[in-house]
Amino acid sequence: MIVANTLFTRLVRNSPYLLIALLVVPVLGGLLGVLLPAFGWFPALGANEFGLFGFVQLFNTPGIERMVLLSFGTSLISTLLAFVITVLILASYFNSPWLKRIQRLLGPILVIPHAAAAIAIGFLITPSGFLSRLISPWLTGWDIPPDWLFPHDPYGLSIILGLTLKELPFLLLIALGVLAQPEIGKTLKAQHKVASSLGYCPMTGFFKVILPSLYGYMRLPILAVLAYSSASVEIPLILGSNTPPTLAVAIMQWFNDVDLSLRIKASSGAILQILITLSLLGSWCLLELLVKKCSTSFLVNGEREYGGMLIQRVTHLITTVMLSVIGLALVAMVLWSFAGFWSFPDLLPQQLVTLHWSSALLQMQTPLFNTLVIAISTTLIAIALTLFVLEAEQQNTKTISAISGFIIYLPLLIPSIAFLFGLVWLFEQVNSQHAYINVVFSHLLFVLPYVFLSLANSYRRLDPRFSTVAASLGVQPSKIFWQLKLPLLLSPILIASALGLAISFSQYLPTLLSGAGRINTITTEAVTLANGASRRTSAVYALMQMLLPALFFILAWAAPKLFFRNRG
Amino acid sequence: MKSQSMSSLKIDNLQLSQQGKLLLSLNEEVKGGEVLTIMGPSGSGKSTLLNWLVGMLPSDFYANGELYLNQQIITNTASHLRNIGLLYQDPLLFPHLTVEGNIAFAMPKGDKKTRKDEISEALNQVGLAGMEKRCPQNLSGGQQARVALLRVLLSKPKAILLDEPFSKLDSQLRQETRQLVFEQIQRYSLPAVMVTHDESDAIAAQGKVITLDALPLNQAAS
Repeated sequence: MIVANTLFTRLVRNSPYLLIALLVVPVLGGLLGVLLPAFGWFPALGANEFGLFGFVQLFNTPGIERMVLLSFGTSLISTLLAFVITVLILASYFNSPWLKRIQRLLGPILVIPHAAAAIAIGFLITPSGFLSRLISPWLTGWDIPPDWLFPHDPYGLSIILGLTLKELPFLLLIALGVLAQPEIGKTLKAQHKVASSLGYCPMTGFFKVILPSLYGYMRLPILAVLAYSSASVEIPLILGSNTPPTLAVAIMQWFNDVDLSLRIKASSGAILQILITLSLLGSWCLLELLVKKCSTSFLVNGEREYGGMLIQRVTHLITTVMLSVIGLALVAMVLWSFAGFWSFPDLLPQQLVTLHWSSALLQMQTPLFNTLVIAISTTLIAIALTLFVLEAEQQNTKTISAISGFIIYLPLLIPSIAFLFGLVWLFEQVNSQHAYINVVFSHLLFVLPYVFLSLANSYRRLDPRFSTVAASLGVQPSKIFWQLKLPLLLSPILIASALGLAISFSQYLPTLLSGAGRINTITTEAVTLANGASRRTSAVYALMQMLLPALFFILAWAAPKLFFRNRG
Repeated sequence: MKSQSMSSLKIDNLQLSQQGKLLLSLNEEVKGGEVLTIMGPSGSGKSTLLNWLVGMLPSDFYANGELYLNQQIITNTASHLRNIGLLYQDPLLFPHLTVEGNIAFAMPKGDKKTRKDEISEALNQVGLAGMEKRCPQNLSGGQQARVALLRVLLSKPKAILLDEPFSKLDSQLRQETRQLVFEQIQRYSLPAVMVTHDESDAIAAQGKVITLDALPLNQAAS
């Protein structure tokens, strides 16, 4: 394709380099900034010699094995659970209208920040929480809150619950997205029909025909979920035990300690974290191999029916329980945010007051302002850059290379706790004192991949003949971009913007670290309050965390409808 | 007694309608080894008829009438219990299984060795000897069509439906594959219903041909 040489086309052509640089430099720089101190090089402390004493210190930490085990176990089990339940739901409701309904119910959970989800689950399972109130005293005879360990149980069960509930909607939506793709979805459905005509019950047909193909498309997202959950901080911080915490949480505490010498141990910990994440990914791949090996004869043995009804019933049960847990957690949180005096074991508060909301909204002004400014700046940059890169693809008439495609997801695959500290060190080196800019910069690392993921499909699917027609009418490339493509893509752009805002709203660690603790957002405040004294204020903050993204998604959904209302 | 055991697919007073409007009505019996050909422009209800036959009629359609397979009523039988094989225009081989795996998938349970021998023999008969371990994606279009045919036949169906089965093959291949399919249908003495656009398919089938009318435009659009 011959492309005119204008300022616009040059800008567009170079945008992929900017995108790659914006993602690679901070991540690799950040990793370097952790790698050096991990091996003892930390000039600010007068440590100028390479050595392994950071690791020695790390392995001498009491409870280190438990931290590692907790990180490894909670993420592996939760990802496995989320995957299994996703598959069960797909298998049971494939070709059923319920699949769409479940998708609609779970979709919104995707944009609930991890911190808010953890707080909501905490409200449900805490000893004086909604769950124990529901069954007391009529069933249990409890007049005082029971002496159970949830949340903060030492086995990480609460963490597993939180992670599973948060990962499940993501995996389910990924799978449904694959099935919704015209070619893949149609072929898979036709193959399912073939299996059915060969006498396979729908459930067995799903497991033997659809799943092996579908899994290929879900693999990367699953690995991303696994990597993320192994190093996530919010859920273990809010729902986990502190004696000892997961490794990621411990690393964060060491980094934030006033005792700067702990930084070396923290850096070594970050390296250990990367190794844990890698070994998790490796274990998953081994599991894959094992399942593949064991299932080859199972796939072709001709057995058509494996107690599909039983599996279906179990799935109904799991789905119902899961949706109830989510529903109850939300109800509990709303109740707490309005609760006056609320003694155990009453199911409902004695009185409802708006005091917590009015006082929290007053305190909330600065964090709210920060949240919005940072999210809007980040999202604007991300949207503009993504659009330019996608336009560059069309100018070059090929999609970006596999390597660039991989690099876009780099910040999602590498445990953020491992490179964010290095990134802060990098900011210090270039003497960037502007906390806002630093925070926007680090948010961009997480917002860009999602915005790109969300926009790429629509942009690539746009009928190229529109631009060809416009070009043949003598319209310039820049005008085609601004006045033809962008209006055509208004809806997906708005949805991607809402997603970008939601991702930025939910960032905890990047805000905390890049802002050097000076910039408070709704999310950092919510996490701080989560383990604090006032459950009611905490509920208000967590609800705000959910309302903000919801508000922008509704806007993104409604705006085009209002905008184009006057057209038939 | 003899006529009782003769295989047949009987469409008894079928009336298919959508939103109260009659799409088609049909009353036919297909005997084993015969091919009933349904022709008609798109929108005439061919695929709706096939969907009804396999038991996957979308919920916005309404059907009246009964379906008998070998004198047994199967109108309300779940599609996977009907024993009606389907052959599409796309071979729809399963990409995660080998040629052998695809066919074994379709066969009834049984002794591993016996099944394996049966597959080899069947492949041999259609000129695909030694292709057991190949990946379906690496086969030519005609080879894939033949594997898809074997997959249906070795699943031991009691009737077979052909949904434009040759429309994606070029003319030389088309003739060969068509001949093979009809030979096998006679060999297994299966009642067959074929939906096609192509006059030459209908002639080659040598059976009864029913041409469905195009619906008035307003109906076809819905």
